[in-house]
Amino acid sequence: MTRQNAPQLDTAPLTEEDNENKPTETQETQGFLPIETNAFDRCFISVVIWVAMSLFWFRFIEPTGLSIWISNVIALAIAVHIVRKG
Amino acid sequence: MQSNKLGWILLAPTLVILFFFGVLPFLYVVFVSFHQWNPFAASPEMIFNGAENFRRIVFDDAFLNSLGVTAAFVVFAVFSELIIGYLLAQAFMKEFPGKSLFRTIHTLPLIMAPIIVGSVWKLMTTPSIGIIPHYLDEWFGITMNIGTSAPVAFMTIVIMDIWHWTPLVTLTLIAALVSLPRDPFEQAQIDGANKAQTFWHITLPMITPAVVATVFIRLMDAMRTVDEVWMLTGGGPGSSTRFLGVHIFKEVFPKTNYGYGSTISVIVLYLTIVVCWLLYVSMLAPRKNRKG
Repeated sequence: MTRQNAPQLDTAPLTEEDNENKPTETQETQGFLPIETNAFDRCFISVVIWVAMSLFWFRFIEPTGLSIWISNVIALAIAVHIVRKG
Repeated sequence: MQSNKLGWILLAPTLVILFFFGVLPFLYVVFVSFHQWNPFAASPEMIFNGAENFRRIVFDDAFLNSLGVTAAFVVFAVFSELIIGYLLAQAFMKEFPGKSLFRTIHTLPLIMAPIIVGSVWKLMTTPSIGIIPHYLDEWFGITMNIGTSAPVAFMTIVIMDIWHWTPLVTLTLIAALVSLPRDPFEQAQIDGANKAQTFWHITLPMITPAVVATVFIRLMDAMRTVDEVWMLTGGGPGSSTRFLGVHIFKEVFPKTNYGYGSTISVIVLYLTIVVCWLLYVSMLAPRKNRKG
C-alpha cells in the first residue's frame, strides 16, 4: 500500500457534542496500591481486609485473651488509610 | 444528561428485580447470620448472638474439611476443564469429517440438569449394576466402589464435573478464537514464530478476557455445587466429598440450623468474591506505570 492510498486518520478535535457523548469514567487515583482504583474499589478492599482480619483474630489471637475490638480498631485504621491514600 | 435519564429509566425494571430478588435476600442472610435461629426448636424465635457464629465457624472442623475438599475440587475441575476445553476449541477450529455431529454430541451434557447428571453417574458407577465398575473389573481387574473409597469418590465427582461442564468452556473459547483478527497470526508466521510462541505471545493475551470470564463462571459454579454431588455420593464416604454446598444443605435442612447455615453461606460468598477479585486483579486490572 502506497502512502498516497493509505486511509486518512480522522484527527479533528472533538466537538462539544462529542465530549458530551463520551462515556463517563470513574475518578481513579494514584496511591500506594499496585493497581488503579476508584473509591468503591478501595472501600471493597477495606471490607475484604476487615473480614479476613476478624476471622484470623477469632482463630488465632482471641484465644490468647485479646478482644476482637482491637482487630476492629486496627482494621478501621487500615481502611481509612486505604480509602484516603490507596 | 438526557441520555443518562433514558439509561436509568431503561435500567429501572432490572434494578428493581435485582433489588428484591438479589440484594434483599442477601441482606436478610447477613442479618440471620448474626442470630441463633432454629425455627423448628422448642424456642423458634431468632436470638441475636453477635459474632458468635463467626467465632464458631473458624473452629468448626467439619466446615474447614469442607473448605479443603471444595478447594481441591475447584482447582482440579476448573483447571482440567480449561485445558480440555481449549484443546477441543482448537480442534473445532479445524475442518474434519463428522465435525457437526461431534460438536452436537459434545454439547449434549450441557443441556442436562445437574440432578439428572448425578443420577446417571450414580447408575453408571454403582458396583454390580454400573457399566464403569463392570468394565474396569473385566478389562483391568480394578475394583471400583465409590461408596467405600474416598479418593475414588472424589475423582469420580471431578470427572463427572469435567464431563458436564467442559462443553461450556469449549463454546466460550470457540467464540473467543473465532473473533480473533488474522493479521497478528500472519505477521507472526512471516517473522518465523513457532506454534508455542504464537500461543504464548498472541493467542493467549488476546483470549485472556474470555478465559477469565469462563474461569469466573466455572469457579463460582464449582464452589456452590450441590445437586450432582448429593445424588452421586451424598457427601460420603465419611465426609470425603462433603463440599461446602452439601455442608450448608446438611446444616440448614436436616439440622434446621438456619443461623449457622447463613453464616457459612456468607463466608462462602465472601471467599468466592475474594477469589474472583484476586483473579481479576492478577489478570485484567489496569496497573500503574504499565509500559506500552
